[in-house]
Amino acid sequence: LLAIPVDKVVKLYRRETWDNQVDLSDTSITQPLNVVVWSPCGQYLAAGSVNGSIVVWKVETQECIERMKHEKSYSICGLAWHPRYEQIAYTDTEGNLGLWEDIGDGKKPNDKVASAVTKDYEDLFDGDDDDYLNGDMIEPPSSPNTGANEDHGGDDDLMPTSGHPRRAVIDDDDNSLDIGMIKANSNLLEKEEEDDDDQIGGFPALPTSSTQQPFYDGPRPTPRQKPFQSGSTPVHLMHRFMVWNSVGIIRCYNDEQDNAIDIEFHDTSIHHATHLPNSLNHTMADLSTEAILLACESTEELASKLHCIYFSSWDANKEWTVDMPKDEDIEAICLGQGWAACATSALLVRLFTVGGVQKEIFCLPGPVVAMAGHGEQLMVIYHRGTGFDGDQCLGVQLMELGKKKKQILHGDPLSLTKKSYLVWVGFSAEGTPCYVDSEGIVRMLNRGLGNTWIPVCNTREHCKGKSDHYWVVGIHENPQQLRCIPCKGARFPPTLPRPAVAILSFTLPYCQVTTEKGQMEEQYWRSVVFHNYVDYLSKNGYELDENVKSQPVKEQQELLMKLFALSCKLEREFRCVELADLMTQNVVNLAIKYASRSRRLNLAQRLSEMAVEKASELATALEDEEEEEDFRTHLNAGLGKTGTPPDKEVSSNKKDPLVPSANVLDTMSKYSKKTSSSRAANKQSSPVIKPLIPKPKSKQASAASFFQVRTPGSSEKRVGEREEKARNEPPEVQVTAQDNAENKRPKTGFQMWLEENRANILTDNPDLNEAEVIKEGMSRFRILSSEERMVWTEKAKGGAVTDLTEDKKRKRPTAAEDEGKKNEEHKSEDSNVSKKKKPLDQATNVRLSSFAFKQS
Amino acid sequence: GDLGPFNPGLPVEVPVWLAINLKQRQKCRLIPPEWMDVEKLEEIRDQERKEDTFTPMPSPYYMELTKLLLNYASDNIPKADEIRTLVKDTWDTRMAKLRLSADSFVRQQEAHAKLDNLTLMEINTIGTFLTQALDHMYKLRTNLQPSGSAESQDF
Repeated sequence: LLAIPVDKVVKLYRRETWDNQVDLSDTSITQPLNVVVWSPCGQYLAAGSVNGSIVVWKVETQECIERMKHEKSYSICGLAWHPRYEQIAYTDTEGNLGLWEDIGDGKKPNDKVASAVTKDYEDLFDGDDDDYLNGDMIEPPSSPNTGANEDHGGDDDLMPTSGHPRRAVIDDDDNSLDIGMIKANSNLLEKEEEDDDDQIGGFPALPTSSTQQPFYDGPRPTPRQKPFQSGSTPVHLMHRFMVWNSVGIIRCYNDEQDNAIDIEFHDTSIHHATHLPNSLNHTMADLSTEAILLACESTEELASKLHCIYFSSWDANKEWTVDMPKDEDIEAICLGQGWAACATSALLVRLFTVGGVQKEIFCLPGPVVAMAGHGEQLMVIYHRGTGFDGDQCLGVQLMELGKKKKQILHGDPLSLTKKSYLVWVGFSAEGTPCYVDSEGIVRMLNRGLGNTWIPVCNTREHCKGKSDHYWVVGIHENPQQLRCIPCKGARFPPTLPRPAVAILSFTLPYCQVTTEKGQMEEQYWRSVVFHNYVDYLSKNGYELDENVKSQPVKEQQELLMKLFALSCKLEREFRCVELADLMTQNVVNLAIKYASRSRRLNLAQRLSEMAVEKASELATALEDEEEEEDFRTHLNAGLGKTGTPPDKEVSSNKKDPLVPSANVLDTMSKYSKKTSSSRAANKQSSPVIKPLIPKPKSKQASAASFFQVRTPGSSEKRVGEREEKARNEPPEVQVTAQDNAENKRPKTGFQMWLEENRANILTDNPDLNEAEVIKEGMSRFRILSSEERMVWTEKAKGGAVTDLTEDKKRKRPTAAEDEGKKNEEHKSEDSNVSKKKKPLDQATNVRLSSFAFKQS
Repeated sequence: GDLGPFNPGLPVEVPVWLAINLKQRQKCRLIPPEWMDVEKLEEIRDQERKEDTFTPMPSPYYMELTKLLLNYASDNIPKADEIRTLVKDTWDTRMAKLRLSADSFVRQQEAHAKLDNLTLMEINTIGTFLTQALDHMYKLRTNLQPSGSAESQDF
C-alpha cells in the first residue's frame, strides 16, 4: 500500500495495481496534508498538515484514532514513527522538533530529543539570543528529517514502506543529536570570543512545542571584564590610544608593516613629543609628568616586560626595563609620584621606584581590572568574585605609599550601576579617587563621609544621541571640570580626526533640583564634597593657598544663608535652626540678625541659644586643646619656675611634631586652627605682659579660670559644666553670664586675698620670685576655710547674685578636689592658660554678653 | 577682555585674530565652528537656492571666517576643500540675488527696499556701487527737469 497525501485526504493506493483503494480522512483536517508516515508495524498511518495538526489512522479500520494539534500551528514538515514505541517525532517549519507520545496515551508532547539538546546549551550560561540558539540547534535536525522525506519529492511524498521510516528515524535522530552537539560546541566557542560587550543575562527559552524538563532558572554569572588601562581604546584596533590623560596622549599604530608608539604631551614644556618603534609590542602604557611606562605581555620566547622611560632623570640613563618571572604576565600598570606599579597575572602587584628599584610586592585577592596612581596613592580595582545577571563584582583597594604606608580602602566592594562594567578609573587632579562605569556615571570618593563613594556626574544626561558616549580623560576639582570626549555612536573616539576635549560640569543627584531649595542644597553639598581635598592635602603636608581654603567656606556659608532665608520665608523655622547648625559662628550672627529683623523672635532666641552652646563647646574644645598642649609642655619643661620664653620655645617645639614635618612650617602653622595661631600670638605677647608677674586682671582671671576651668583632668570640669547646663536650662544663659561676669570681674576673692597677704608671704619667703609668691599664695588660700574664701569672693563681687556664689561653691569643691593633684603645674599652667584663654574668652564673652543682655 | 585659563589640551575661546596668530606661530590647533561642516553647509546652500529672499546665515561673518580659517588652518578642518566649494556656492547665489534685486530696484525706481539677512560683507560688496549709482541717477534725473535756478552747475 502506498499512501499519498492529497489535499485533505490520504489516498491509499495498491502498489501493484495503482488503484485508489481507500481514502483516509478526518473531519479535523482543515488544511491540506503534506506529510504521511507509516508506522513501523504498518498498522497505522500518521499524516501531518499545513496547519499543524497530526492525525493517526488505523489503516484497517480506517478510523482516526488520534489527533494532535501543534500549539503554534506551524506546518508540519516531517514525521517519524519511533521504531519501537508508540511515539511520533515531528518537525515543523519553524525548526522545532516535537515528540508525540501517544497513540493510546493521549497527547503528551514531551520533547526528549530536544531536552537533550537543551541540556547541552544549559551549560552555556552566557545568555545568548534564544531564538538564534534555538534556530541553529534545532533547524539542522529538522532539515535531515525533511531532507529524508523530501528526497521523495516534496508534497507528493511517496511514503515509504515500513522499512524506510525506521531507517529514516534512526538517521534523523542520530543526526539531530550530532548536529545539536556540534552547534552547542560552536556556540560555546563563539561565546568565549566575546569581549566586554553587554551581556544579556537572558534565559534561553526552549522550543514551545516541547519540554517540561526542569532547567536552571536563576541568576546567570556574568563574564568577568578583562583588565584595561584607563583612557585607552581597545587593543585590537590598528590605530589606538594607549593612554589619554591630563598629561598627554600616547598613540599606538599597529598595522602589518610596523608597530610604533607616538607620545605627545599637552604641555610641551614637560617634554617634547616622541616617536618610538614598538618592537616588543607593548600594549599597555601610562604617562605622568615624570615618566612614561610601557608594558607588554609575554610571548613564547620573551617574558612579559615593563619598560620605563624616566625623562626627569638627571643622569644619562633615562630608561630601564624589567622582565617578569616566567609565566607571569603584566595585566595593568600605573604611575605615581616617583613610583610605578604593575599588576600581574600571578595576582601580585609589584611596586618599583621610577628609577627602577624594586620595592614592595603585595597580593591581590582577585584578578586585576585596572589600576591608577597619583602622588602617593595607589588604587587597584580587581574582581572580588563573579557577578550575576550582567553585574560585575569588583573590589577596590586604596593605599597610601608615602612615609607612612597604610591602606585606606581594604577591598571594599565597588558599586557600579546595574548591568554595567568599569570603564575608567583614576584620580582627580587634586588626588581624589574617581571611577566611571559603562552607564556613564562618574563616582568620586567622599572623604568627608568616611570614604564612601558619591556619584558626581551622569554623562548620559549630556548625550544627545542614544548611542553617544563620553570618553573620560580627566577630572578636576578646582575648577570643577570633567574632561571628556564626546563620541558619536561609539564608546571611544577614533584616532583621526583628532578629537576635541569637551568639559562637563558636575551635578550631584539631589532631589528636586528644579526648586530653589534643591538647587542650593545641591550646590552646597557639591561645594563640600569637592573641597574635601583641601583638608586631605593639608593633612598630608601640602601647602595650600589661604584663598583656596577660605573661598569654599565663604561659598558654602553664603549658600547656607540663602537657604536660611528661604526657609524663613517658608515659615520653616525649625529647619532654620538646623541650617544654622551647619554655619560658622559669624554666619550664625548674621542669621540671628536676619531673624530678629524679620521679627521672628522665637527663632532668634533659639538661634542665640544654639550659638551660645556652640560657642562654649568651641571654647571648651579649644581649651582642651590648649590645656593638653600646655600640660605636655609644662611636664616637659619641668616646673614653670622660669619665665615664659623657655616655655614658649618648648611648646612651640611641641607643636611641630603634631604637624607633619614635610614642608614649610609657616604655612602649616597658619593653616592649623586659629587657636594655635592665637595661642602663638598670646605666647608672643605674654613676655610683654610678663605673665608670672601678677597683674590684677590676670591674677583674677587666672583665679577665676582656676576655679572654673578644668584641670588636666578636664573631663570633670566639662562634665560639671555640662551638667550645669543640663540642669539649668533657662539659666543656661545665666551660667554663661556668670562666666562672663566672672571673667570681667575686676577681682576675685583670691586676687584680693593675695594682694592683702602678699606682703606676708614675701616676708616669710623673701627670695621667692613672683611665680613662687603666687604659688605660695594659692596654697595658703586653699588652706583657708571655705567660708573665708567665700568672704573674699563676696568682697570681690560686691554682693552679686547668690546663684553665682552657689555655682562657685559647686565649682570650688570640684576645683578643690583637683587641686590635690599637681599644684605647681596648675599654677603656672593657669597663668599661661589664662593668658590664652582670656583673649578668646573675651571674644566669645562679648558675644555671650550680648546674648545675655538680650535675655534680660 | 580677559582670556583663559589656557590649559594644555583643552579648548579655549579666543578672538579670531589671536587664534590666527597663535596658529601661525604653531602654538595651537584651531577647532572649526559648529556650522563649518559639510552637511550643514550643503543644507544652507540648498535652502538659499530654493528661496527667493535671503536666508539667515549661520554666522554674520561666515565669509570672513571661512576665508581666514581655510587659509591658515585648513589642516585642522576636515574636508576643507568641500567646505570651500560649498561656501563659495552659497556666496554666489546670494550675490546673484543681490544683483537682481538691485536691478529691479533701479528699474522700477522704487524708493525703499528692505533686505533681510544680509551680512556685512555682502552689503559692502555692492553697497558703495549702488549708492553712488543711485546718486548719479538722481542727479541726472534732476537735471532733466527744467528748473528755475539752473545756474547751479553740479554734475
